[in-house]
Amino acid sequence: MSTEVTLPELGENVSSGDLVKLLVKPGDRIEKDQPLLELETDKATVEVPSPSSGTVKEVHVREGQKLTVGQAILSLEAGDNGAQRPAAKRQAEPEPSAGKTAAASAASAPAPAPGAMAPAPSEGPGSGQAGRKAVALPELGENIASGDLVKVLVKVGDRIEKDQPIIEIETDKATVEVPSPEAGTVTEIAVKAGQKINVGDLILMVSSSAEVLPQGGLPEQPEPKSTENVMARAAEPAQAAEEPSVRDGEAPARGTWEAPAEAPAQEEPAAARALPNIAVMPARRPASGRSPADVAAAPSVRQLAREIGIDITDVEATGRGGRITFDDVKRHARESRISALPGAAAPALPLPDFAKWGEIERQPMNAVRRATARQMQYAWAIPHVTQNDKADTTALEKLRQRFSERAERMGGKLTTTAVALKIVAGALKVFPRFAASLDLAAEEVILKKYVHIGVAVDTERGLIVPVIRDVDKKNILELSVELAEVAERARNRKLGPQDLEGGVFTITNLGGIGGTFFSPIINAPQVAILGIGRSQWEPVFRRESGSDGAKGHFEPRLLLPLSLSYDHRIIDGADAARFLRWLAEAFEQPFLLSLEG
Amino acid sequence: MKKVPEKKTIAVIGAGPGGYAAAFLAADLGMQVTLIDRDPNPGGVCLYVGCIPSKALLHVAALINESAHAKEWGVSFPSPKIDLEKLRGFKNNVVGKLTGGLGQLSKQRKVTYLRGTAAFMDSRTLKVQKLEGGAEQLRFDNIILATGSRPVRIPGVSIDSPRVMDSTGALDLPDIPKSLLVIGGGYIGLELGTVYAALGTKVSVVEMMPGLLPGADRDLVRPLAQRVQKSFAAVMLNTKVASVKEEKGGIRVRFEGPEVKELEQVFDRVLVSVGRRPNSEIDGLEKTGVTKNARGFIEVDLQRRTNDPAIYAIGDVAGEPMLAHKASHEGRVAVEAIAGHKGASFEPRAIPAVVFTDPEIAWCGLTETQAEAEKRAIKVARFPWAASGRAVTLDRTEGMTKLIIDPETERLLGAGIVGPGAGELIAECVLAIEMSAVASDIKLSIHPHPTLSETIMESAESYFGQATHIYRPASARGAGG
Ligand SMILES: Cc1cc2nc3c(=O)[nH]c(=O)nc-3n(C[C@H](O)[C@H](O)[C@H](O)COP(=O)(O)OP(=O)(O)OC[C@H]3O[C@@H](n4cnc5c(N)ncnc54)[C@H](O)[C@@H]3O)c2cc1C
Repeated sequence: MSTEVTLPELGENVSSGDLVKLLVKPGDRIEKDQPLLELETDKATVEVPSPSSGTVKEVHVREGQKLTVGQAILSLEAGDNGAQRPAAKRQAEPEPSAGKTAAASAASAPAPAPGAMAPAPSEGPGSGQAGRKAVALPELGENIASGDLVKVLVKVGDRIEKDQPIIEIETDKATVEVPSPEAGTVTEIAVKAGQKINVGDLILMVSSSAEVLPQGGLPEQPEPKSTENVMARAAEPAQAAEEPSVRDGEAPARGTWEAPAEAPAQEEPAAARALPNIAVMPARRPASGRSPADVAAAPSVRQLAREIGIDITDVEATGRGGRITFDDVKRHARESRISALPGAAAPALPLPDFAKWGEIERQPMNAVRRATARQMQYAWAIPHVTQNDKADTTALEKLRQRFSERAERMGGKLTTTAVALKIVAGALKVFPRFAASLDLAAEEVILKKYVHIGVAVDTERGLIVPVIRDVDKKNILELSVELAEVAERARNRKLGPQDLEGGVFTITNLGGIGGTFFSPIINAPQVAILGIGRSQWEPVFRRESGSDGAKGHFEPRLLLPLSLSYDHRIIDGADAARFLRWLAEAFEQPFLLSLEG
Repeated sequence: MKKVPEKKTIAVIGAGPGGYAAAFLAADLGMQVTLIDRDPNPGGVCLYVGCIPSKALLHVAALINESAHAKEWGVSFPSPKIDLEKLRGFKNNVVGKLTGGLGQLSKQRKVTYLRGTAAFMDSRTLKVQKLEGGAEQLRFDNIILATGSRPVRIPGVSIDSPRVMDSTGALDLPDIPKSLLVIGGGYIGLELGTVYAALGTKVSVVEMMPGLLPGADRDLVRPLAQRVQKSFAAVMLNTKVASVKEEKGGIRVRFEGPEVKELEQVFDRVLVSVGRRPNSEIDGLEKTGVTKNARGFIEVDLQRRTNDPAIYAIGDVAGEPMLAHKASHEGRVAVEAIAGHKGASFEPRAIPAVVFTDPEIAWCGLTETQAEAEKRAIKVARFPWAASGRAVTLDRTEGMTKLIIDPETERLLGAGIVGPGAGELIAECVLAIEMSAVASDIKLSIHPHPTLSETIMESAESYFGQATHIYRPASARGAGG
């Protein structure tokens, strides 16, 4: 006898997870409580133990698949030789009723033979009838397991098309319209506005287009209501027409009557399933207007894109001859995921018709622009504070001029940015929180033991932030050479994704253009960013030593404006002031670097 | 509202290369599968009366031709004596072995094989009229249509006479006729014509269009056309068959067209091979949501799902090109889609086509003809086999390899090969196109020497004007070919 093992409850509020690893395969003998699979939920990775022992007959799930609580994982054969039993014998066994199967415990219930005619559990009129399809709530995107049903958009009797929105639900990410995976006539609606609905829950039933008959259904084929009817129906033409004969009891066992509650999400084509996600993202046409056939990508890469619901024509290629690599698709997926986050979901303001007032031109945003727009909108949700200070760089400037020739000989340029890199690296060692990230879900702060620092580079395509690795292990001359080289590659579009990853802090120097203080926006998931303005000679009042009043004189000093924006969720104002003071003093006395950094 | 999903049940109608590939994968993915066909074992047209028997006979034809060719190398054989019964036996054996093997494979996978004809009661219910008598009504979660295609018959030409055959009749080898008229210069007619010509029949081909193998690039067809000029009795282009009449001792055929020399001729036998049409007239199909296009092909989406969500269609019945390997690939896609694999989609960049004549012709991806029609900028890099050491050792230097390259990205878009073994060689080009290889990828991949595969590498070299075995002065370079 075989039993179906389903995904058990995993704990509070966890209704699904991603199957990371299967630990058993068909034919394996397993013991009760032996782990069957590894599941990654949004809380943790758990091993799912077997509720009983036996031989694995069949595994219904694949690695990488999303599983919901209650979903069948595998069938277990209780006896040792069960799997070898001939099919014919199995079919001859009495069929247990569906009710019994559902009620019996997983360990002992005799599961229906494969392909058995389990009548539909729902008692609704005509359930199990030809052409009835259940529409359940499909997956709505990462980590969304449920939502509040805002509105039902169809009613019983409506004819709906495939992809027509049927309900509107509000998740914690956004409000989405859920499209129907089926076309047909709505025969039953199982939900109402205001209720909470989970992925996999039945929304409504449709009777499929092909089988909708004007009135009265199919007169010559009476609706079977039970197992007996199924058989009767199969046998009917045999008696009527004399010639065809039905093999006793076997024929219907080959096919199954429809199980209306079976989650249709399982069998929908990728496109339909990805729809709710797309609805969350701002609509975007492939900037290139390429057709999929023109896209250069290996079959496995194209398949990956389809699997994770990405339009391959949207992916920017880094390979030779415009080839799209595995990594390109993954990077694109990461970027577009950001767009599904809160900020991006904010509805765009309706635009007026600008052409009314004069000539306009529409330009597609390039990938850099799009990525910046998304990233910045996302970062906007971070509670920013900007702290300003000025550093006295008079002494440093002298040193800089003295050594600049040496740097040039090495192919670099001894810029303020190169020096700032070194100084910031030193500061991050003293104040590690400024290189941290926040894991709100786990309620943890992630400290990084490496010092990779991003430097904003202005290119003709837009802002790019290459990352300089291990800044703490390089001297200022080496950094100046590397900076020059990276900036050059950024401008020539020669940077790969790996050159843009892994930063713990960002420096943006607008001093070359001008201006004093500004409010840089944090490059999330980092928590702080340093903006540098243009240094200027300013009169600084030097108090006479010993005097306690305004006795003293003005001195020309070269002052560098520094603006530090930080994430107030993790960094307090006092710490930020200390951090920035440390930076300023290091600019004033570079000696501090070797002392403390 | 959650429910334990039961094992999916699927039916596959038609057990050709599309149908059995689908059925086997479905079984491997844990579905309960019923495969329905009239033949004793899976195989369909391809194994019983198509690809396989024709290739068995073409292998014999190649041997006959080669042994005659050997005279020029100082080795002569007496002209071959043909034991037709034994030859037929060899061919039937090949078919029996392969279809029997498929029968075994389907048993091992616990696929239920039903011999009979399937008709629809509704989208998910089939009535199978069994060959052994009786009928069965079965219900499934999904149904895959893989009913294939059949030869087109022309009224007035496909007359009811044992002397007028279609491809199936010709593969039966009823005799070695003195003369045979092949109506239609497509690949099936030319392949079977090649077989009969080798066996000693005087073969004539008549084709309505101005060239053989309509649709294929002309430069690929040329070496074959030249060869059949010699091995066939006649090739009549721009010519139509006006009428066919049976008379004592033969079939009288009347021709029509500007180039007709003899208005009427009498042939021992006539082979009608003017194309194939989809088997989409399935009983009860109108009770489902399945739709067809004007040519009778069933309309499907990228997952091969028809307009009826429960029904999929694959292979010849689902559209061109009508080729076995396309059918199998589609079969796997459809099953993966049914299994809910999100990555399932039929979107090949290149489907190879092979004509197993002598010489063989093979191509894949974009053709020159197509590029011209689409006004698409391409560069063509050709390598004549006269410069291939291997071709010279075979004494077959009429061949040619060409690569069709996107001048902007240097990506390989298409390839064409004519010459012995072209069918085996083309697979490399398919892989290169699917992997989006650029010309230098092919150029930089070392190919074994001396083999014909080097012609692909040297074509890529010639794209850069640097093929080792062709000298092209710098001034001629970049001319694209
Ligand atoms: C002479 C010849 C040579 C060929 N050579 C090649 C070659 O070299 N390479 C190549 O790729 N292709 C070749 N082909 C084409 C190839 O045979 C087809 O493309 C291929 O067989 C198509 O496969 P399929 O699965 O679509 O269907 P088919 O192979 O056509 O099989 C369909 C099956 O379905 C059955 N069927 C139809 N309706 C019903 C029904 N209602 N109920 C039950 N069963 C039904 C049919 O009897 C048939 O057995 C050749 C064809 C011919 C005729």
